[in-house]
Amino acid sequence: MPQFRFEYWGGQIVWLLIVFAILYVLFARVFVPRFRAITDIRAQTIADALAEARRVQAESDAKAQAVKSDIEKARADSRKLVADARAKASDDMARTQAGQDAELAAKVHEAEVRIGGMRDAAMSNVRGIASETAADIVSKLTGKPVSAAEAKAAESIA
Amino acid sequence: MADPMHQFEIHKIVDLPDFAVPGIGVIDMAFTNSTLAMTLAAAGVAGFFALATGRGEVVPGRLQMVGEAALGYIDNLTTSIIGPEGKKFFPFVFTLFIFILAMNVLGLFLVFTATSQLAVTATLAAMTMLLVLIIGFVRNGANMYKLFVPAGVPWYMLILVTPIEFISFLLRPVTLALRLFGNMLGGHVALKVFAGFVISLGTLAAGGGLGLLGIPGAMLSLGGVVALTALEFLVAFLQAFVFAVLACVYLNDVVNLGHHH
Repeated sequence: MPQFRFEYWGGQIVWLLIVFAILYVLFARVFVPRFRAITDIRAQTIADALAEARRVQAESDAKAQAVKSDIEKARADSRKLVADARAKASDDMARTQAGQDAELAAKVHEAEVRIGGMRDAAMSNVRGIASETAADIVSKLTGKPVSAAEAKAAESIA
Repeated sequence: MADPMHQFEIHKIVDLPDFAVPGIGVIDMAFTNSTLAMTLAAAGVAGFFALATGRGEVVPGRLQMVGEAALGYIDNLTTSIIGPEGKKFFPFVFTLFIFILAMNVLGLFLVFTATSQLAVTATLAAMTMLLVLIIGFVRNGANMYKLFVPAGVPWYMLILVTPIEFISFLLRPVTLALRLFGNMLGGHVALKVFAGFVISLGTLAAGGGLGLLGIPGAMLSLGGVVALTALEFLVAFLQAFVFAVLACVYLNDVVNLGHHH
């Protein structure tokens, strides 16, 4: 076998060691550090991008939360406004009604009083008229004038 | 039929001066086709990764994507086998993986496969085991004996287990070297043999007469070559991967000696 021609071993071994040493130094000093640097930068870039994305996400979440609470607040406000307006309206209405009721009651009462007065007056007039008429009838029948006092006395008997 | 072993012949391209190492002998530093193959593989790898990691964009382009996928794949492998300390050994493991892969794949396109030379695979294996030993002694010192004495094993079992562990440790570089060498050698020999059948059966058929029976055989061989080439691409990746995985496993043994993670 040509592989066992040992006169070529020495040269091959020395050349191999030289070539391998050069290649090793290239890898150890140049290519592998470059590879490590770029993988580190890449890992850092990815980590940074992820952190940034997380931060932006949290920010947008917070904003969404704020907007949501704003909407909730606005809704509550409007609900309160409606309830207030309704309460005020019903209050006003009740107050107006009460006032009108009182006014009407006063008017009714006044009218009743007036009617009562009128009736009393009418009633007293009726008495006067009756005694006068009775006195007239008596004087006509008897031909004797009847005094007012007599008429009054008669009235009380009747 | 062409000699299937011819493809493994080494010949000099540029003859460079030899130099003598005391105690070992004279080393012929000639620039051979084997040297050329490994240099081309290394240059291809260096060029590719210079381009792939050069831009360094956060959102990678196609080339950067492929480079980062390869680096990330082996990075995950070292970290999952050795643990967090695997990061320190990642450049070594990745250089092993990509260099072996490049030599294997280049062998499928060129005429010469550097990883089918035992000298190359043995050097890679020896280098790996040497690193494992150095790391092991630096980190664990005298505690290295624990590598051969598994925790929680009764003493009478240790009499049996310790020699087995020791021998298996000694065999690691051998298996590491021979696995890659054998796969590459076998694959390329098989390819060459099947390709040789196509030629020899074809010439037989060209002679006419009964030789025409060679045509179906040649067609079958051609199909075999196509199928084997596909298989060899898989093997080229798989052997580089296996080498890297085993380097990680052996490193893990000494890095995390005595405690499992």
